[in-house]
Amino acid sequence: MKRTVLLATMAMCLPFGSAVAGDFDNVTLDAKLIGGQQYEALYARIAEWEADTGAKVNVISKKNHFELDKEFKSDIAAGSLGWCVGSNHSSFASQYPSLYTDMTPFLTEEFIGEYVDSNIAASMIGDKLVMLPRAQFDVSAMYYQKDLYENEDNQQRFKEKYGYDLMPPDTWEQVSDQAMFFADPPNFYGTQFAGKDEAIVGRFYELVISEGGQLFNEDWSPAFNSEAGVRALDWFVKMYESGAVPKGTTSYLWDELGAGFASGTVALNLDWPGWAGYFNDPESSKVAGNVGVVVQPQGSAGIRTGWSGHHGFSVTESCENKEAAASLVAFLTNEESQMLESSAGPLPTRKAVWTHVVEQAGTDAYRSEVLTAFQSAAEHAFPAPKTPYWIEATNVIYPELQAAILGDKTSAEALETASEAVDEIMLENGVY
Amino acid sequence: MKLLPLRLPTWFLLLLPAIIILLSVVLIPLVLSLYSSFTPYKLTRPETLYKWIGEYNYVKIAGDANFWWAFGRTVFLLTIALNLEMLLGLGIALLVNKVTWGQRWLRTIMMFPMMFSPILVGFQFKFIFNDNVGLVNNALQSLGITDQALPWLVDGKLAMFSIIFAEVWMSTSVFAILILAGLFAIPRDPLEAAKVDGCTPWQSFRHITLPFLMPFIYIALAIRSLDVARAYDIVKIMTNGGPARRTELLWTMIGRTGYVDAKMGLANAMGYASIILAVFFTVYFFRKLSASRSSLGFDN
Repeated sequence: MKRTVLLATMAMCLPFGSAVAGDFDNVTLDAKLIGGQQYEALYARIAEWEADTGAKVNVISKKNHFELDKEFKSDIAAGSLGWCVGSNHSSFASQYPSLYTDMTPFLTEEFIGEYVDSNIAASMIGDKLVMLPRAQFDVSAMYYQKDLYENEDNQQRFKEKYGYDLMPPDTWEQVSDQAMFFADPPNFYGTQFAGKDEAIVGRFYELVISEGGQLFNEDWSPAFNSEAGVRALDWFVKMYESGAVPKGTTSYLWDELGAGFASGTVALNLDWPGWAGYFNDPESSKVAGNVGVVVQPQGSAGIRTGWSGHHGFSVTESCENKEAAASLVAFLTNEESQMLESSAGPLPTRKAVWTHVVEQAGTDAYRSEVLTAFQSAAEHAFPAPKTPYWIEATNVIYPELQAAILGDKTSAEALETASEAVDEIMLENGVY
Repeated sequence: MKLLPLRLPTWFLLLLPAIIILLSVVLIPLVLSLYSSFTPYKLTRPETLYKWIGEYNYVKIAGDANFWWAFGRTVFLLTIALNLEMLLGLGIALLVNKVTWGQRWLRTIMMFPMMFSPILVGFQFKFIFNDNVGLVNNALQSLGITDQALPWLVDGKLAMFSIIFAEVWMSTSVFAILILAGLFAIPRDPLEAAKVDGCTPWQSFRHITLPFLMPFIYIALAIRSLDVARAYDIVKIMTNGGPARRTELLWTMIGRTGYVDAKMGLANAMGYASIILAVFFTVYFFRKLSASRSSLGFDN
């Protein structure tokens, strides 16, 4: 009887993409998930999956990705891999090639085909689909304060000084001009950038690409010590030296940047889609009602920046009940789950949900502007380099980028040192 | 035939529980980490724990300028922070010792900073020294002292100053409490005899009070030197060793190498190399402690 009820329940789930729903009575899955208020709405749905399948989910850890990363590494070292489902991120995934199983055997081709192809490609390590993407896709577009651009005095003075009309920037050179034009430190800044850890290396990476360079060669030897690399790093140096960015920017990460733009003291801000609602909410932001968003600018090579990443869920190789775990992951990333998550602002990774959110935004001018900008931004997106040594490499690159920005070294010297350090990492790990 | 039971000496049997506990919680982790420092052990590749690479990690550290800069910075932080804490703690203890009413309250209030978690202290001072929205810059700008946003956590010297300030704020009371305990223990007779002999307050302090306090000061210095040599939490939160390694200390570097880069073998080797620092300061202060106790006529 119970089985019949379950099958009926599963049939009800199918339209939402629960491709592998099954009878998982008495199965308990331990999960390690990314924590945070913004993710709780999705986790509330786990109870529905439990009711549908008869399985039980035991969330044994909830932390941010940096803390989860450390925990996963400790688990691998200690062999404590009794858990089944883990939050994953495209920028971290390549560090643990043996931790997660290939999910392809548990899913139908049609089901996988419902996700955005580039997101699925970024979820693969070699031939293995190591995670299913959730509606937490990140690529940056350019936020700006609209009234600065509508001000006639600004328009006139800008044209006199730079010889072209003041419009939201379409190139990184225009970002430089406008950032320096608007800056009035310490009260107002032209722009800002994440200044440490993986964040600044990610920003440098996308700027190198937009300048026509590469961070790594095909054999994973460093390639950023190039003319394109120097041009990219010079952009950060120029912004810092000219006072167009806050002096403390080398200690800023995403939270400080978001708070900075929301405080109304920054003109231009390349940032993630998750901030769109926050920036336009009068309770949290002084620039609410005055925020514009355009697609991210292009570099001198005519390529737009577009370092991207997405959250996902994975199933461990050591999981005793992979089928149940894959069912849970499919459920948490299915159409209904993604509609729920993207209704709060984050970008989806399923084709149908993209269409849905764009339609839904129809009457809301700001939401339409945001989605249009980020949909274009997504077209130019590219993931972090897929090497297990990405995070390790960023840890030797970022202090050198900072050294150039703060004037301790020239851009060429800093990149030379960083390149040697990355080369040593690759050699030590037997990459070539 | 009678079996001879294995007879262990009574003293050994009595000590056995302590020996087993010490072996399991101290010696085994120490030996394991020492062993792993001779391997290329990566947390994400457990099989690397069994690959012996000899002294490779130590040779690498010996030639790593970044490591020795971090070592030097840690010695610098230790020297400045310890001396400041000692002088301020001595001053506070002497003042509190003069108070005749409400001294217990003062002693309790004095201990407040010690009760905070170092992580909380780190966040507190990270906000206070923030260049844009921090209290210090806002106060300086409002008072018209500067119209600039001083980069407290970015400029090499200012960032070190900010970290030392946070360390001193949190731990001066350790010195104050220990020195106050010393002040309570000083016999009154020599001080009264000095007064009768016409000594000035400075002479009494210099030749009677201070020598009596020195053992307490050296104990506080030894304890705090071990603490500061392991400084991690406050620095991790305030600057994480940056920017451009300007505030990188031994343990922020070791923490990043071990847990973020997952290179636990190399991190353990760095840990063992840095123990030199802790051992040096502990031996130094204990020698000083013995010398000062001998000069007071105490046997060791």
